[in-house]
Formats: sequence, structure tokens, C-alpha cells
Amino acid sequence: MKTRMIIFLLLAAVAASAAWLLLWNHEADSPVARVSWDGALLEEFDLNQVDEPYTYTFKHESETNTITVERGRVCISEANCPDQICVHQGWISDGTVPIVCLPHKLIVEIVGGGGVLDGGAG
Amino acid sequence: MAGPVKGAGRITRLALLTAIALTIFLAEAQLPALTAVPGVKLGLANIVTVYAMFALGPGDALLVLSGRVFLGAVFSGQMMTLIYSAAGGFLSWCVLCLLRKLLTGEQIWLASPVAAVFHNLGQLLAAATVLRSWAVMAWLPYLIIAAILAGLFTGVAAQALLRRLSGLS
Repeated sequence: MKTRMIIFLLLAAVAASAAWLLLWNHEADSPVARVSWDGALLEEFDLNQVDEPYTYTFKHESETNTITVERGRVCISEANCPDQICVHQGWISDGTVPIVCLPHKLIVEIVGGGGVLDGGAG
Repeated sequence: MAGPVKGAGRITRLALLTAIALTIFLAEAQLPALTAVPGVKLGLANIVTVYAMFALGPGDALLVLSGRVFLGAVFSGQMMTLIYSAAGGFLSWCVLCLLRKLLTGEQIWLASPVAAVFHNLGQLLAAATVLRSWAVMAWLPYLIIAAILAGLFTGVAAQALLRRLSGLS
């Protein structure tokens, strides 16, 4: 009885997670890359308004992350954090997951238009 | 199943389990990342945690777990990760304490996936606190699925271990 309950809950968790990933529409109609540090918004880049790719460098004391912005997508191209997870993640172009540099408390996420705000379009 | 042992025997056993868990943890840390999702791994060291919880009890399991988590952060040279491992480890320990009362000896394999889910949840909550943002929760569905798969694997391994080691000591 208890085993069945736990198996049911685990299956429900898998189903809910899969449904969230597959059905939710993460596309952003007018994608905006939002850079925040320590919970505060630093910069916003409208990804539809990019003609030439450009970079923005985040600096806090000795911590730096270079963010490269192209039309429709954004990445952290260089960082001096110990784990380099943010660099290895590469480009993001929708609101599925943000780029997080945990050691530097830096978040680059894509919001805007349809996707995140209107949500649940699946 | 091994009962409570006092004194030097207990200390020796706890030290042995911590050393085994730490070795497994550091060996696994050398493997390349399995997926693009940060934080996804098998968590083989948790076989030892689950074993300690069911064979020795919550107190001993917490000692082995906290010893492994602290020394693991020291030896892997990433003290920053301590807060996330500690948050995940503590939350999954709480859940294992509860499951220990609910599950019989033959159902231990089920405890591990549940504990793994709460381990990842604890890590994400710690990350959300550090970042002061809920944005990291976007990883939660990936981590839930990964935790359940990895947890089933380590759970079955812990179950086999308990069966083989019962009658020992």
C-alpha cells in the first residue's frame, strides 16, 4: 500500500516534469535577454533589435563574465569563474532554462512576448 | 541487519563508511558530466548513505553523510559547493528518516529515488537563496527526472548491499 503510494507519487512527478518540458511553450515572440546579479536587474537586451553581434562584460570586483548577444540568442562566451558551467552551456534562445553562473551569482534569462508571461500555451 | 555498536567498533565502522563514500564521491567527480544539465549525476556515494540509514540508523547516517559532504568539498577543492551539497544532503536525510519508518527491509530501493528528488530540490532551493532569484527552478523538471532514474539505480544497489551485508558484524 505504502509502496504503491510512493511509486504513484514518483510516476506523477515524472509525468508532471515531462509534461512541463514538452507541452509548455517556452518560445518568446519578442525575446529580451535579462541579466541580473544578486537578485537585481543589471541590463536588458532586446534580441530582435540586434544587427551586429556585440558583447557586454559583467564586472564585480575580480569576477567577470562576458555576455555575447546575437539576434535571437545570447550566451556567456567567457568567464573567470571556477566551474565554467555558464560558458559550457552555450547559447540560449528561449525561456526554457536560464544561464546561471552560480559562483558569480549571475543570471542570464530570456523573457518576453509570448513565452514566459503569457505562458501555458501548450 | 547490523545493530547498534558502541565505542571503538562504532567509530571504526563510521570511519570506514565515510572513507568508502568519500572515495566513491571523488572517483565519480572525475567523470565527465553526463548531460548538459548541471548537477545531473548518478550520486553513487548515496548508496552508502542509504545503507547507513537503514542498517545503522538516522544518527550514524547523518554523521557519515556530513563527513562525506564536508571532506568531499575540501578534497575536490570547491568549497563553494558545500552549501548546495549540505542543503541537498540534509533535506534528503530528513526524507530518508521518514521513509525508514514507512518502508520494510525489502522496499529500500524505493527510498533512494525519493531522497534523490529531495536532494536536488534542496540544492535548487540553496541556489535560489544564493542567487536571490527563482530562475534556477527552470532546472527542476530535468533534475526530478534525472534524480528518479539515478535514485532507482543507487536504491537497487543499496538494497543488494544490505542483503549481502546482513548478518555481518
